[in-house]
Amino acid sequence: MDEITAGLSEIDCDVLVIGGGTAGPMAAYKAKMKNPDAKVVLLEKANVKRSGAISMGMDGLNNAVIPGHSTPEQYTKEITIANDGIVDQAAVLKYAENCFEMIQELDRFGIRFQKDENGDYDVKKVHHMGTYVLPMPNGETVKKALYRQLRRARILISNRYMATRLLTGKSGRIAGAIAVNTRTAEFLVVRAKTVIMSMGAAGRLGLPTSGYLFGTYENAANSGEGYAMAYHAGAKLANLECFQINPLIKDYNGPACAYVAGPFGGYTANAKGERFIECDYWSGQMMQEFYKELQSGNGPVFLRLNHLRQETADHIEHILHTVERPSRGRFHEARGTRYAQTMIEMHISEIGFCSGHSASGVFVDECARTTVPGLYAAGDMASVPHNYMLGAFTNGAIAGEDAIDFAAEVDFDAYDRADVLAEQERVLAPTRREDGIPPNQIEYKVRRLVNDYLQPPKVSKKYELAQQRFAEAREDMEQVMVARDAHELMRALEVSSILDCADMAACASLYRAESRWGLYHWRTDYPERNDDEWKCHVLLGKQDDGTMGCEKRAVQPYIVPISDDEKDAYYKQRITAEA
Amino acid sequence: MPLANTSTSVPVVVDEDKCIADKGCTVCVDVCPLDVLRISELTGKAYMKFDECWYCMPCEADCPTGAVTVNIPYLLK
Amino acid sequence: MTFEPFEAFCDLDDLAEKLRDADPGVRRVAVMDLADTAEPGAVALIGSALHDGVPEVRLQAAIALGEFDGRDCAQMLVVGLVDADHRVARAAADSLAELKDPAAADPIFPLIAHAAPAVRAGALRGIKELRRPDALPLALRALDDADPQVRVEALGVVGYLKVEETLPALIAASRDAHAEVRRTAVGALGFSRSAHAAEALIRALSDSDWSVRAAAAEILGKGRFARAVAPLMAAFEDPEWQVQVKIMRSLGQLKAAEAVPLIGRSLEAEISNLRKEAAAALGEIAVPACRPYLEGFVDDPDPDVRKNVRWALGRIE
Ligand SMILES: Cc1cc2nc3c(=O)[nH]c(=O)nc-3n(C[C@H](O)[C@H](O)[C@H](O)COP(=O)(O)OP(=O)(O)OC[C@H]3O[C@@H](n4cnc5c(N)ncnc54)[C@H](O)[C@@H]3O)c2cc1C
Ligand code: SF4
Ligand code: SF4
Repeated sequence: MDEITAGLSEIDCDVLVIGGGTAGPMAAYKAKMKNPDAKVVLLEKANVKRSGAISMGMDGLNNAVIPGHSTPEQYTKEITIANDGIVDQAAVLKYAENCFEMIQELDRFGIRFQKDENGDYDVKKVHHMGTYVLPMPNGETVKKALYRQLRRARILISNRYMATRLLTGKSGRIAGAIAVNTRTAEFLVVRAKTVIMSMGAAGRLGLPTSGYLFGTYENAANSGEGYAMAYHAGAKLANLECFQINPLIKDYNGPACAYVAGPFGGYTANAKGERFIECDYWSGQMMQEFYKELQSGNGPVFLRLNHLRQETADHIEHILHTVERPSRGRFHEARGTRYAQTMIEMHISEIGFCSGHSASGVFVDECARTTVPGLYAAGDMASVPHNYMLGAFTNGAIAGEDAIDFAAEVDFDAYDRADVLAEQERVLAPTRREDGIPPNQIEYKVRRLVNDYLQPPKVSKKYELAQQRFAEAREDMEQVMVARDAHELMRALEVSSILDCADMAACASLYRAESRWGLYHWRTDYPERNDDEWKCHVLLGKQDDGTMGCEKRAVQPYIVPISDDEKDAYYKQRITAEA
Repeated sequence: MPLANTSTSVPVVVDEDKCIADKGCTVCVDVCPLDVLRISELTGKAYMKFDECWYCMPCEADCPTGAVTVNIPYLLK
Repeated sequence: MTFEPFEAFCDLDDLAEKLRDADPGVRRVAVMDLADTAEPGAVALIGSALHDGVPEVRLQAAIALGEFDGRDCAQMLVVGLVDADHRVARAAADSLAELKDPAAADPIFPLIAHAAPAVRAGALRGIKELRRPDALPLALRALDDADPQVRVEALGVVGYLKVEETLPALIAASRDAHAEVRRTAVGALGFSRSAHAAEALIRALSDSDWSVRAAAAEILGKGRFARAVAPLMAAFEDPEWQVQVKIMRSLGQLKAAEAVPLIGRSLEAEISNLRKEAAAALGEIAVPACRPYLEGFVDDPDPDVRKNVRWALGRIE
């Protein structure tokens, strides 16, 4: 295994789904269900059985809009406020209206949500206003259940193929994609009438302080190809300057989910064991408060459970150590930390792109359509904010159903063969060198630069320096990077996505000349929020001359209006104490 | 510049007495999202070939014989 | 032949052949591959592996059947549930609990009366989600089982069916000798709005076990039992603050104006969870009498308390 084999095959399909994590399997399934005669292909870099952010399940749904507990309108309002107003509400509202049906369908698939003793969903109130959290303490079988549905529906699954570029047609529509086998380096050219991208977050942008390239918060297979491929295909990307930064267990670098602990009475505390977070919703504002506390004399920051009954703390421990990131338990065991006794030290994550937790993604409308006809995006890489797992499922379904209809209306668009040849050349270049710099070193350097220069607070001068250094790294990547086998070639291709994402992060951040979204886009040169000029999306894209550029795009008029006193209702509560 | 091999301690341990890769099992290799496990041509057993682990644990959870243990790697222990 | 880069749909006959291999390792791998086919025809083959002489193969089969559903699958799994090897039996019980098709309950029913408590518990757990009304008499009988775990599982079945006629049995279970049984029974009573249910829940407020008291306090509020106000107030000084939190939440849901002074005093509590809950409850009740209590805590050092105090004051305006 892993030897480089030359070769290229071509296949055709109606709908090509790239990325078989969360949104992707649902998109493929829904497309196939709507038109069982259609050919639906699901392409995955890893193996659909256990790939993606949800490979070991999730602690729970963070944003379930369930009748009797919250309404779609209320949810839309809260997301609009949490995202500082930069929201096209149609997509958020559509998600909110569809997500309960998705929960019920997932339940029928055999995915386990917490129910009370009467079999009703046991929804928990975590936020101050709405009630949205539905725990999944036994949810570790989620991928198994999905995989089972895909097999039954006879979806064609291609595992261990990494997509590297999209193909666009002569008429400007999407025409397919190019992928490389991660164990043989064989090429697969997929001609497709529509393509749905669901390649997850750009999780390998910043560098975890441990120094492990793969010790990221996000699933480390999500190296940002989705963002890079969309960019090269001419699609627009929205609000990339709204970085993702998450609270996490220090050193372990995985979540210590306050959403799990909250309903039991656990909370995020400072060194005195006291709460300090004013903000109600997981957002950049909250991360700003977290960051400030870390920097202040009150830090560091902890997850506090040691005021709870031993049984309660042990129960939370049990949940956190069984699903989502079960190695949390191993980590604490090695250090001898028990939640019932000691507070758990927390920190903040490296930066990334991810709409699932923030808002940075490929620009899509409420039908998951990108700005390239026939090209869709869903999940963490699409621009619907604060979407999380249920958003990936729900919007994946929306994408699948829209794409299958689109495919019925059109024929294949012809792409240029030269594009395929050029891509083959680009991909194989590192394999044609005898020696040079291995991918892991270039990756380390780029990501270390991301930490040094792009991590907020954002300083304009540092960003300009970063751009220069990224350009040097790009030259190294193109001229001297070497890959000795197919596995290393996958890593080499990932470096190229990471570097593209780093460039995009810098470009978008420099463009938005204000501060917004708390820590996510805190610019020291423009410390204030400026609604007059910047209450708009920033769309990044490839310009006619081939360079990267940004433009403003108006926010769609709100469908669910928010009155001033409603906004105040949130802000007023956040005011810090006088004393 | 020429390349060198630097040693590193890897987190995943396979109990070779329990591993049934020689009977056709490839479960852990299949499920790993980072594709870092392989079946050794020498021993016919699974092992960690690349130090690129997310310590996510499907390899351990899905191994039918309980042969796999995922440890917390040294630098973040 | 054209190149097919897709995951194969394996041939069942090939795998059936491997299932007869002399090497148990090969048989195990065959069982796993059969599960991956997701073919209905694989169920019987995997089921046959539950009769394998080697426990590890049977274990694999019990796990693999968790990937399937329906009557036939259940028929196979009940074989695993009575396996002499406890690992196989446990895996079969887990797989039974994955079933979703109501028809799958039929082959499980007889095992509710099995001699081994683990089998009885596993069978009850398996039929809970299937919500079959005809399971009721069997589950009710199991409420008298000698084994507490069986009683807990039986309560699960009864609770999911939400039938008013089961109240006497649920109420009896809320007096069980075993705390876990009592807690589950209290939870299962949640669907009822009847006076009898309320009475039982009120009695549970003075249970010896804190988790039973907490559950009762929570459900009395959820069910909006107006008559629970006085008993909740009487239970207010519970020695466990986690119970007090639930009591306050329920008094808030019940809009219990008479409880305002009691709740207001909790704003002085040292544990901030209590202060936070007290402010939230006063905001739910939102009568003018809440105001003087709240006003002193607008600047509470805890942000969550402050938020709730400000929100509550806003609701009174
Ligand atoms: C640690 C953690 C905890 C979380 N906790 C919660 C929670 O408790 N509740 C909640 O609601 N949400 C939670 N989330 C968020 C939620 O999991 C994600 O929003 C959601 O799963 C994203 O789905 P996705 O399909 O976009 O991405 P993923 O599920 O990550 O799937 C992306 C897939 O694309 C594949 N891929 C990547 N690049 C390529 C390529 N070039 N070619 C082919 N395939 C490719 C990857 O291998 C992967 O399988 C959490 C996320 C993380 C990381
Ligand atoms: S899953 Fe277990 S038995 Fe199978 S190859 Fe891996 S270590 Fe060996
Ligand atoms: S822990 Fe995860 S990344 Fe590491 S070897 Fe196992 S499956 Fe692969």
